[in-house]
Amino acid sequence: MLSTVGRRVRLALTALVAVLAVSGTLYGQDDHFPFAPFRMFATRTAPDGPVRVVELRGRTAGAAAEGTLSMASFGLRRAELEGQLGRLRSPGMLGELVRAREALRDELPRVDVLRLVEVEYLLDDGRQVGRRETTVAEWRR
Amino acid sequence: MAPVSWLFAAQPRARVAALRTVAYLFVPVDVLLTTAWVADHADVPGTLYQPLYVGRLLDLPAPGPVSVRVAMVLLVVAAAVAATGRSPRLLGGAVAVLYAWWMVVAMSYGKVDHDRFAFLVLLAVLPTAGPARPGDRTADEASGWVLRCVQLAVVATYLLAAVAKFRFGGLEWATGATLSRAILRRGSFLADPLLDVPWLLVAMQWGIIAFELLSPLLLVGGRVTRWFVLFLFAFHLASFAGIGIIFLPHLVALLAFLPLERVAPAVARAVRDRAGWANWSIRGIRLRSGS
Repeated sequence: MLSTVGRRVRLALTALVAVLAVSGTLYGQDDHFPFAPFRMFATRTAPDGPVRVVELRGRTAGAAAEGTLSMASFGLRRAELEGQLGRLRSPGMLGELVRAREALRDELPRVDVLRLVEVEYLLDDGRQVGRRETTVAEWRR
Repeated sequence: MAPVSWLFAAQPRARVAALRTVAYLFVPVDVLLTTAWVADHADVPGTLYQPLYVGRLLDLPAPGPVSVRVAMVLLVVAAAVAATGRSPRLLGGAVAVLYAWWMVVAMSYGKVDHDRFAFLVLLAVLPTAGPARPGDRTADEASGWVLRCVQLAVVATYLLAAVAKFRFGGLEWATGATLSRAILRRGSFLADPLLDVPWLLVAMQWGIIAFELLSPLLLVGGRVTRWFVLFLFAFHLASFAGIGIIFLPHLVALLAFLPLERVAPAVARAVRDRAGWANWSIRGIRLRSGS
């Protein structure tokens, strides 16, 4: 049996967390994690709108052509890059990412050119009908 | 008051003991293997650090190469020792605090996940149960509250995910192309063919909204709960196969709905029976070779 105090404290904590979780979902933002809204895949993609995907392309030492580089090698996840696209528009920021990659994965070939690319898949009634690419920022060693 | 006694309905201590073992053993797996990207934030430029509200409130320092690595070692060691059931309050408390900071490191770089809520609740409430041994079938209120909290957090994750869809995606969320977007971004050979069948993806979106809204049925108990849990495991595995996303910490919390205390004895029985069978066959061989 729990003591009266033990019960009351637990009851109060339960109520507090419940209130925080519900109000976080109704009024909060990502910033309020762990009481942020549970918003993975919560935004609606228009069936006739574009789907945007960010990629990092680059030319590494010894490579003949440019290729897609894994986001993980830069210590970030794609959604994190997309969440901070504004800051990453400056080439200097891309240079910092390259340095992060060198600190994190020094066994990987050196990056000489890095491009942040936004790929747009065009949808029509939920079906993919086209694709276009824009370079958001570019950095050269 | 009925809802209060429901919240404290006694449950076997052995169930908490089993859940505790799984949860603390999962922590090193999570930190070192399945979400190893968190540690990579140690080397990300400080300018990309966007502290969460809780980080600013508590004035937490920006994660750096040293602090992240020290926290990682402490967390893994504390969890491994806590998994043995030793000092459940002290070590459990340490794991809860360290893991909470680990999550601040994880979510402070522009993307917040929502597969952690129930697991965070689990880590936070586990220490309150105190000592609980695997074979202890005694039911008490402290264990009951721990399990109920985790169950409520699991239900909240689904139910509030539906609410978030209405808030951010609108009531017409289900008629959109959100799953098409998910597959375009992170598809696989299993999911990609679905892009050609948009109506099926819309049907799946209706299905998702439906089961999220029905998630309180998890609390009904008995067969309803068991089938619902089974369905949820299947759903999360299918998502993993299709778009490579799996809510592993959430799945650990989902175990709070199951009679976990029956698993260890069943495994022990199976091992014993197998051992018995092995002895029997060894004896049999001996008999044969002796004849």
